[in-house]
Amino acid sequence: MKRRTVIKNIGIALGSFGSLPTWAAGWNQATFDKNNSFNNEKLLAELVETLIPTTDTLGAKGLGVHQFIQKMMTDCYDKQAQTDFEQILLTINPLIIKLFGKSFAESDTKQRIELLQSLAQSQDKKIQNFYNTLRGLTIQGYTQSEYYMTRFTDYEMAPARFYGCVPVKK
Amino acid sequence: MDSIKKRTYDAIVIGSGISGGWAAKELTEKKLNTLVLERGRDVKHLRDYPTAMKEPWELEHRGQMPLDVQKANPIASKCYIFKEDAAHFVVKDAEHPYIQEKPFDWIRGYQTGGKSLLWARQTQRWSQLDFDGPKRDGFAVEWPIRYDDIAPWYSHVERFAGISGNKDGLPQLPDGEFLPPHEMTCVEKYFKEQMAKAYKDRPVIIARCAHITKAQPIHYQQGRSQCANRDLCQRGCPLGGYFSSNASTLPWAAKTGKMTLRPNSVVHSIIYDEKKQRATGVRVFDSETKQMMEFYAKIIFVNAAAFNTNMILLNSTSNRFPNGLGNDNGLMGKYVAFHNYRARVSAEYDGFLDTTTEGKRPNSSYIPRFRNVFKQETDFLRGYAAGLYTSRNKIHDNNAIGLDLKNSLNAPKWGNWNVGSHIMGETIPKESNFIALDKTKLDPFGMPQLRISIDYDENDEKMVKDYLEQITEMFTIAGFKNIQTADSHQAPGLDIHEMGGVRMGKDPKTSLLNEWNQLHACKNVYVTDGACMTSTSTQNPSLTYMALTARAVDYAVKV
Repeated sequence: MKRRTVIKNIGIALGSFGSLPTWAAGWNQATFDKNNSFNNEKLLAELVETLIPTTDTLGAKGLGVHQFIQKMMTDCYDKQAQTDFEQILLTINPLIIKLFGKSFAESDTKQRIELLQSLAQSQDKKIQNFYNTLRGLTIQGYTQSEYYMTRFTDYEMAPARFYGCVPVKK
Repeated sequence: MDSIKKRTYDAIVIGSGISGGWAAKELTEKKLNTLVLERGRDVKHLRDYPTAMKEPWELEHRGQMPLDVQKANPIASKCYIFKEDAAHFVVKDAEHPYIQEKPFDWIRGYQTGGKSLLWARQTQRWSQLDFDGPKRDGFAVEWPIRYDDIAPWYSHVERFAGISGNKDGLPQLPDGEFLPPHEMTCVEKYFKEQMAKAYKDRPVIIARCAHITKAQPIHYQQGRSQCANRDLCQRGCPLGGYFSSNASTLPWAAKTGKMTLRPNSVVHSIIYDEKKQRATGVRVFDSETKQMMEFYAKIIFVNAAAFNTNMILLNSTSNRFPNGLGNDNGLMGKYVAFHNYRARVSAEYDGFLDTTTEGKRPNSSYIPRFRNVFKQETDFLRGYAAGLYTSRNKIHDNNAIGLDLKNSLNAPKWGNWNVGSHIMGETIPKESNFIALDKTKLDPFGMPQLRISIDYDENDEKMVKDYLEQITEMFTIAGFKNIQTADSHQAPGLDIHEMGGVRMGKDPKTSLLNEWNQLHACKNVYVTDGACMTSTSTQNPSLTYMALTARAVDYAVKV
């Protein structure tokens, strides 16, 4: 499917929350806690893994970034933001099934990325917020992990020096 | 009688923060049995820094405060220190209520060491030009001391505390007893050179700060060692690399065997003896036992922090002093002021792209005040100093997804140099800016709640405007790009530089304290914290409190 078509379909499926599937529009905290938290953790794990995949080094899922996002969402975001985030999360699978005939977990990398790109380009405020939050927390969780900081940055807790002007390492 | 004897000391110091710690050190060194009263819990050096060794990834929310804590603490949450690694050193809103007649974010640190654990550690001296301010420009009252009176005491406290800095030879920012300075970055040096070419009066220097950049025997004797550039100071420093009461003056005082430190001791008032015509002690509410107690001494130093000192004195009423101890002229609590920290300028620079910095610098560069320094030049009084900091960050492609994003994060590219500056503006003490005790509302400790009525004025607005214009001009001259100005319009208070209310002066009719920081009307009570400040100038004030304290103790034990 061409990118343009995907975006168009997302526009149809998610463009306005007046047209959300009834089960999503009628969502509340109780139904979420009872029915969806486990599946959502799995889905969140796949989403962060799509953003930052495993290669010869660990990706976001392997570093537990999805759990970090859940913790941050629960402790540091207000109810409205949590609801909005989870509401969009719940539409991911129905949407990707509609587009590619498979759930997010079953879709291939290309399809997953295409879906995320479409979210990124959505004109809908809630979808934009969802994607920006997901991306922001994924990057934060990844770059502030011990694994990343000790392998890919020159992080030292106590450098015991400051040089104001050194050549950039090539 | 025995009980009274047990509760009698040579001296009492109210408060264990940056100035109280100095009072404790100087008094005990001079062999006075000294009781140090701290209203908050005890925080012992090393033992009580629970986050000091935590790695960034060990902070549950990576530093961010949980939303319920933020919501429960709207005032504290505005403070940059109120983060996961140091929030335990900041007063929670609900525990210590006060009344904002006008918006004022009152940030407090109630524990042994007070805010000395949390301060930004900037230590610029005042010059004679600063002490001349009120008289020259016709506001507040004349300072009763000159730079020469305090200069040796600046030296005294600098040698002990450990102050790093460069001897810049500036009349408006006198040199001190400096340990080696921090380095300026290439861009800061470049900016300094450009400003020297463009202006005859706008030097740019590395700031002086209370970090041991090269430990001396006096620092090792305190159990402190060289700063390791962790730049995690607000957590408490296991090395004692920066100056705090906890790491420095208090253990020093304890070592004399002459200090009794009593935490959880909320001072209610000072006891005035009408016959002896002097203060004889203090009334303390023990926050653990909930009992009122009395302690006695011949010398009392009030170092409770600027507003708390005002509160204690205003609450110390007697037949002789119905409006508060030493408050014959009714000026106590008035003419309070602060520093204006509202404005910032940021920019980028695309020069020196083959260079960067290495390590961490718990300090920044500094633009000393250049407005109205030697004479009045603008349509506002006084002026501002400015912080200046530059760093080079790595950037990634935020729009990438998947492998592209990962590669971009794992091997980020160097961005331009980032440049930042913030204002440190002098505000003018006025009678209309005041604090007072509420007549009915008490806090959970039985103290009248403080009413705060402080606001910016037209002079501050003009100064903010001028700062934004001038820094923009200076950044433009330097060729910086993407210059952005911002006025946060933040309420007074977040500077955490509130001052005055018990000001020094020559005349008992117009001031509360004399040139030795004694209450004019009750000479055995000394006030040497921020409450004593006649004017505010632009320098971060702690170093001046330390010097005034050491000077006053020296005087107190002689008379």
